[in-house]
Amino acid sequence: MKLRKVLSLILVLSFIIFLNLGGLNAAEKVKITLLSTKGEINAALEEVAKDFSKDYPNISLEIIPVGVGQSPFEKLSTMYASGNAPTLAMIDVNDVPKFKENFLDLSNEEWVKDAVKGALNDITFDKKVMAFPFTIEGYGLIYNQQAIEKVIGKFDPKTIDTRNKLEALFKKLEEKGLTPIVVSPLDWSLGAHFLTIGYVTQSSDPKKIDKFIEDLKAGKIDLSKNRKMNGLLDTLDMWKKYNYLKRSPLAGTYEQGAQLLATGKVAFWFMGNWAWPLIKEVNPNNVQYGFLPVFVSNIPNDYGNREIPVGVTKVIGIDMKQNSREQQEAARTFLNWLVYNKNGQNAWVNKLSVITPFKNVKLTPNDPLAKSIFEYMNQGRTLRFLVTLPPDHWPTVGASMQKYLANVISREQLFKEITDYWRKVK
Amino acid sequence: MIKPKNIRNLRTYIIFAGIPTLAFLTVVILPFIYGVYLTFTDFNAVETVNQFLSKFVGLSNYVKAISDSAFRESFLKTFKYVFYTMVFTNLIAFFLAYILTSGIKGQNFFRVAFFTPNLIGGIILGFIWQFIFNSAFPYIGYKLNIPLFYDSWLATPQKAFWALVTVTVWQYVGYMMMIYIAGFVSIPQDLLEAATIDGAGKWHKLVRIILPLMVPSFTVTIFLTLQRSFMVYDLNLALTRGGPFKSTELVSMHVYNEAFLYQRYAIGQAKALILFITVALITMIQVYFSKKAEVEI
Repeated sequence: MKLRKVLSLILVLSFIIFLNLGGLNAAEKVKITLLSTKGEINAALEEVAKDFSKDYPNISLEIIPVGVGQSPFEKLSTMYASGNAPTLAMIDVNDVPKFKENFLDLSNEEWVKDAVKGALNDITFDKKVMAFPFTIEGYGLIYNQQAIEKVIGKFDPKTIDTRNKLEALFKKLEEKGLTPIVVSPLDWSLGAHFLTIGYVTQSSDPKKIDKFIEDLKAGKIDLSKNRKMNGLLDTLDMWKKYNYLKRSPLAGTYEQGAQLLATGKVAFWFMGNWAWPLIKEVNPNNVQYGFLPVFVSNIPNDYGNREIPVGVTKVIGIDMKQNSREQQEAARTFLNWLVYNKNGQNAWVNKLSVITPFKNVKLTPNDPLAKSIFEYMNQGRTLRFLVTLPPDHWPTVGASMQKYLANVISREQLFKEITDYWRKVK
Repeated sequence: MIKPKNIRNLRTYIIFAGIPTLAFLTVVILPFIYGVYLTFTDFNAVETVNQFLSKFVGLSNYVKAISDSAFRESFLKTFKYVFYTMVFTNLIAFFLAYILTSGIKGQNFFRVAFFTPNLIGGIILGFIWQFIFNSAFPYIGYKLNIPLFYDSWLATPQKAFWALVTVTVWQYVGYMMMIYIAGFVSIPQDLLEAATIDGAGKWHKLVRIILPLMVPSFTVTIFLTLQRSFMVYDLNLALTRGGPFKSTELVSMHVYNEAFLYQRYAIGQAKALILFITVALITMIQVYFSKKAEVEI
């Protein structure tokens, strides 16, 4: 009996000592957190955090994922409200203005000078860089080269440079029994990505695009007389004729689109490079994909017919209100590790499959869609990826686009709904 | 003058219910009051430090909420949805309970089978049914030539609404059935036997004896279906995401989107409060009248 008592006492004592030691260790380590709002890379980020800890053993990085379907804004504002803000917050560009009061000014960071042209435009306020550009993404009409070549032989995407040429190709594919395209009826895809092509092809000068949007708000624009807008919708009308979902245009999901493209049941899908992990999962054997622009007319060199929208979509801000100086320092170390450390670059590009917005990072992700975007970037064939629109823009115009896609409303009514939306925006 | 007995009572109360009361106050009552306060400000959820310094804007959030036609439409849709789910769930559940207490073979197995859908969470349920509506229905429709199933139910506003109702009814029928079964079982057998001896038929027994004695069950089931249908969010999100083109955006989802997606926090909060008051009023009236209809033996 006595032995038992002694034993248990030893056990308790050793526990206490052990806990104390643990406490001592923790005191030396700086603990920082990263809020990840990019669901498809959450698992890979955990690995990257481990890589980082190998190079910096005194910093531990914890990843906090945002649930599927939860808005990043909601998660981050809740964390702020509970006094528990993450050290690093990965958010969408248009959320930066709301949080920038809490973020550290990063203007004097070394990486500022190495960022690619334009990458910092949307996150610079009063000449202060308030966030770190984390990913470049782009979208367009993805083609499955393997599937196309299986039915029509050699296919050179460069020969397709107008809407009519694309339609001729669609016809040929259809005759050979391959469904040409799937237009996934997703409000975010149609509203935030497809329709905005109409805005950004107005001019190659970003200031004129801003002016166009200002004019939309002021109700000065008659969309029905706008050439690019009409051209864009003509292209959608053409797509509708060859759509896999023609019979029931609103009965599609995101996963279904990736599956149809990857299995070669359709030749084209309107989507961006973020879909790659999904496409690869469905069919890991095919790596022959690329982007075609969304044509806005039949003039080969028309602005928008050679370009695809590419831009910085996710950025990282460092909190300075609820994290200690040491934590902020560690967070800056992490960002520098991504940009300048070999292991960091490797983790960023290869493990997370990200196109980085930095000139000095020479690696390219081993993914055909990213490579295609890279090619467009190197040739300077990019459109602005509009990420600064109001948060209710895509749900509202996306719903209108769905109605148009399903032939519930006419083009006149669509233009009216879009104009009405913009007039309500303050 | 406080009587010693009252002090003793208070002491007993604090000993046994003090901690729960405190917890309830801090996590339910205080946040609620704070939430009401926020509806009168231009709070935007970000500038935490300035939370109490948000500008006081009076009733303008309520004015904006009520004048928002999307909110009113969403409310109407929700009323329609609540009506159909309540009626169908209770009718079918009552019918099932009636059959499964009549002593048919394998009734325990059926009870379990009908109850199972209630054990699956709304999100998973939504994804399963999305697959059924999008892929399984059209497939069956084509094979068997049933026009109703040719196209996905989630692609047109009308059918998407009925898809929501169908899945909700399917989910809750088992649960309500269990409550009705409990009601059926608790009816004293001697009453029914006496009625049989007096020459009452099945129909008479149902209307004159069973139904009046089952009113407590109805009070519970109608309350539950009302409240759950009004507050539905997970199923709405997983099954239709409010689509096609926002036609099935029920009021909870509308409130969530307003606050967190469109980032108009204070207006969203005002809408949530309007929803709360509506649901509280309706369920209170329902419980009051149901209670009145209850009979004692």
